[in-house]
Amino acid sequence: MTTIKGNCWVASDYVMAYDIIVQQYWTSPVDPTENSKWVMAGVHEAFNRENGFKDQGYTFIVAAHNFAGGGKSIEHVITGLMGAGIQAVFADSFARLQFRNAINYGLPFITCKGIAEHCRTGDELEWQVESGEIHNLTNGKVFQSIPVAPFVSEVAAAGGLMPFIKQKIADGSIHQLS
Amino acid sequence: MTITEKIMARHSGRDKVVPGQLVWTNIHTVMTMDYLGKQTFTQLHKLGLSTVFDKARVICVSDHLVPPPTPAFATMLNEWREVVKAHDITHFYDLGRQGIAHQIMVEQGHVLPGTISIGTDSHANTYGAVGAVGNAIGVTDAAVAMATGKAWFRVPESVKFHITGKWQPWVMAKDLSLHIMGMMHWNGHLIYKTLEFDGPAIAELDMAGRMTLCNMTVDLGAKNGIIAPDEVTRQYLSGRAKGDWEMIASDPDAHYEAVYEVDVTKVGPTVALPDKLDDVVPIEKVVGRKFNKAFVGTCTNGRVEDLEIMAKILQGKQIHRDVNMIIVPASQTVYLEALKKGYLQTLVEAGAAIDTPSCAACAGIHTGVAGDGDIVLSAGNRNMKGRMGSKNAQIYLTSPAVVAASAVRGEITDPRTFDV
Repeated sequence: MTTIKGNCWVASDYVMAYDIIVQQYWTSPVDPTENSKWVMAGVHEAFNRENGFKDQGYTFIVAAHNFAGGGKSIEHVITGLMGAGIQAVFADSFARLQFRNAINYGLPFITCKGIAEHCRTGDELEWQVESGEIHNLTNGKVFQSIPVAPFVSEVAAAGGLMPFIKQKIADGSIHQLS
Repeated sequence: MTITEKIMARHSGRDKVVPGQLVWTNIHTVMTMDYLGKQTFTQLHKLGLSTVFDKARVICVSDHLVPPPTPAFATMLNEWREVVKAHDITHFYDLGRQGIAHQIMVEQGHVLPGTISIGTDSHANTYGAVGAVGNAIGVTDAAVAMATGKAWFRVPESVKFHITGKWQPWVMAKDLSLHIMGMMHWNGHLIYKTLEFDGPAIAELDMAGRMTLCNMTVDLGAKNGIIAPDEVTRQYLSGRAKGDWEMIASDPDAHYEAVYEVDVTKVGPTVALPDKLDDVVPIEKVVGRKFNKAFVGTCTNGRVEDLEIMAKILQGKQIHRDVNMIIVPASQTVYLEALKKGYLQTLVEAGAAIDTPSCAACAGIHTGVAGDGDIVLSAGNRNMKGRMGSKNAQIYLTSPAVVAASAVRGEITDPRTFDV
């Protein structure tokens, strides 16, 4: 059984992709270290400095509805969060473009209804990956999230969609994808 | 099955799919554009590949950065051109033959009913207007599709909007889009769903209106929006479609997670207030509010029909001295048609500036971006702070008809009460 433990940052509703990565960085190369320097710069004034979010050392983000919404497909959002050390995001719902990007890069976006109401920034959480149980070790509450689908785990295990596809091209099984 | 489920089943080699299922499907066309295209090709190269799956089915468009407003963007465009040419892409719509990518995809027949097309820009949902599954994806997904002709999808739950009644004078598909936005809110009900529009008021809607309606489903959080092909579709695609297609529709016993009825007779001109798309009101609530910039264009409302309705309203009128109005046709084809029909002349005579077909100020990049204190009345698709430039600007969203009538008075005006 895999468990991941760490503290969380609690976001409000509608944290937008536009604010996670602000416009001046949309055309930067997709690179976790670079993208993480200014990730979340538009979300909170305290994060609007170099490594402002990263330096907080959070492991998880807890959010409510439509995390990373606003309709931007930029992948810097995901690589920025990964570069900042985020290992999973738990929320009521996710914007679909970034939900795809998260799967493609292997950052778990985990649907977990109501979790934001019972977590505060800095709380320590323990995520049991296979079962989907999330324990808030600070207040003792337990949440059942939707466990990760097998395809998502396969992609994550390969290190993301790119290595996953590369492997399929190499072993000739690319045409069998259905 | 619903039409979206049928399309996903057909192109993943299955007899049946169910919502929630993850499938790999064949992709008819992949679109990428100047803003993210170079990154897309870079990802393709990282897969160890130097060629795309089909040169005629990877569509490249210059739309976000043309004409380039800064040396940095000019350089980006040069790099983009170089990479597109290096791959010998058959359909490259560069400056001079350009348009907003989604307009190009539909008007040039690169999207066919019953197939799946994807693009690296969020408003790829527009393709649903001709009965295709149109879906926005990131550069990695696009690169994988360019390499393999395939993409993975989670089959979405279907939600139906059954639209009845009669369209009222000066009421446009944009008003219905904004009305639905206000009705459903941006709170998660429609995230990841497919939205299917049908009913007598949809049957009557022209292709321009269908494109507007499907375009904005992404702003409702949906995966795609779709209208089953019919006679309007057949006529529109005649002479455009690059490939064969056949009629497809949802089964009579298809399952919908929810069905919403909207009587379009009761929908009037509608406005989204600044900052939040779902903060929507009937125009009566905001009539008389002042603004200083008017903008019509974009993949939502830059088509000939949009220019036509504005020309009707602005014929023989003058735009108010306190308003700067910019109009951007959605493509060179739209531009030329509006020119030939005399709409552009009418608009210029009224005091509007016409600019080169591109995404223009909608993405806050160039061609009339908003500055501090600007109040913009826009027929675009998004109004969050900073979307069109300054974070200290306000953006109201509405239809081209409302923008045109309001531009004359210098304050938000109901086109139904306007003396045309």
